[in-house]
Amino acid sequence: MREEAWYRMLVISCVIHIFVIAAFSIPFKKTSKRFDVLSSYSVNLVGQLGGSGGAIGAGQAEKGLPEKPAPVAPARAKRPAPIKKPAKEEVSLSKKKVAAREKTTKEELSRLEERIRDMKKKADYLDVSGTKTAAAGGRGGTGAGAPGLPFGSEGGGKPLDPATQKYILDIWDKVKSAWGVPGMTYKKDLETIVIIRIRKDGRIVDINIEKRSGNRIYDESILRVLRAVDPLPPIPASLNTDSMELGFRFLPGDLS
Amino acid sequence: MSFSSLNAYSGGLFSLIYSAGPVAKAVMLILLIFSIVSWAIMFVKFRQYGRTEREGERFFRAAREADSFKKLITIYRDSPENSFYRLILACYKEITKRQKENNPDIRPETIPIIENAMKITISEESTRLERRLSFLATTANASPFIGLFGTVWGIMDSFREIGVRGTTSLAVVAPGISEALIATAMGLAAAIPAVLAYNYFSGRLKRIVSRMENASLYLINLIGK
Repeated sequence: MREEAWYRMLVISCVIHIFVIAAFSIPFKKTSKRFDVLSSYSVNLVGQLGGSGGAIGAGQAEKGLPEKPAPVAPARAKRPAPIKKPAKEEVSLSKKKVAAREKTTKEELSRLEERIRDMKKKADYLDVSGTKTAAAGGRGGTGAGAPGLPFGSEGGGKPLDPATQKYILDIWDKVKSAWGVPGMTYKKDLETIVIIRIRKDGRIVDINIEKRSGNRIYDESILRVLRAVDPLPPIPASLNTDSMELGFRFLPGDLS
Repeated sequence: MSFSSLNAYSGGLFSLIYSAGPVAKAVMLILLIFSIVSWAIMFVKFRQYGRTEREGERFFRAAREADSFKKLITIYRDSPENSFYRLILACYKEITKRQKENNPDIRPETIPIIENAMKITISEESTRLERRLSFLATTANASPFIGLFGTVWGIMDSFREIGVRGTTSLAVVAPGISEALIATAMGLAAAIPAVLAYNYFSGRLKRIVSRMENASLYLINLIGK
């Protein structure tokens, strides 16, 4: 075989490989992109209302939570009914219908959404739950950010006492102030739930990602922030516990 | 396209490769080169063998028509690239050499000499046709191991990650392992076509060589006439 033909074949082979690799990459990417669009299309509406807002409301309504800060608790208690309704309907509706409905109730919904966001901002201390509660409450407990209970071993359905609540809010403030959302992920609808275990002296002994957002950069930023804030303020002696498990839900909107 | 905006887990093959570690990347680069070269060899060999087989058919057609070696030389002309034509040329050179030394007649004792000359030509031709075929065998044998090396390395990394993060959740381990496994996948993707092609081409090469041996016997017969 002449050498020129050999080189030509090498080039042809190279081109074919590039095409094959491209063919393997592009369809995957397209599906993932489409998925993103869908989720931002309906999840903004349904997910937030049904998943977070509704569940938060439900969780609260059940437990009552007398210790909740006055302005937050009543506002949340009122919310569930109007929020849940459209959410449930939307789920069963087809895309077209959702679009149509979106038009008619656009203003109403956007107002609702705004309120929900406000509420979230106020209540984003997030879920505090022991292992037992997490297991028992399942998704509702952690995913909804319903105020569960600290002290895994004590577990049960006891409401939070003010001291614990204050401590948790302090920690969340510290984490939040240290956290910078990576620029490109800022607009996406991401949610990461992280469970951390804190020792008595405030050291984080365990970081466990309960739910990944699916975006690696976003998740990494959260892990980095948790490592950066370590050690956290020590657990107040009044709480009388050796370690604590806290669940945090990170949403990009927390920073705005 | 900025790579950093790709999602490492839901993205395609490309982002999976991009997010892999340096060793895995090096392994995949090697495998890619192996694959490219072996496919190029496949194309080259496919054309080369096809052409040689066509030449063989033409030679036998001409040999059947010709009733003597002299007539065959006059009716069968081809480029010196042609393996079967080279056989005739070797034969012809040997005969003319003998004729110059002795007399125009071909004596029985010159036949083995001509035979040997043709055997040498056949062996040279088969070496030429076999060239680069061994690379396919190398790819077939080595690339799964190279891929496996990348995978083992990646899994080592991801286990170290478990140690560093202190969590054993599947969400921490799984991405590392999936990144690692792509090296094995690529190794197999390079090896499987190479194995198939090597077996196919070595079978074809054997047939071509046996045809050339037949052709040399045919030529001896024609010279004797």
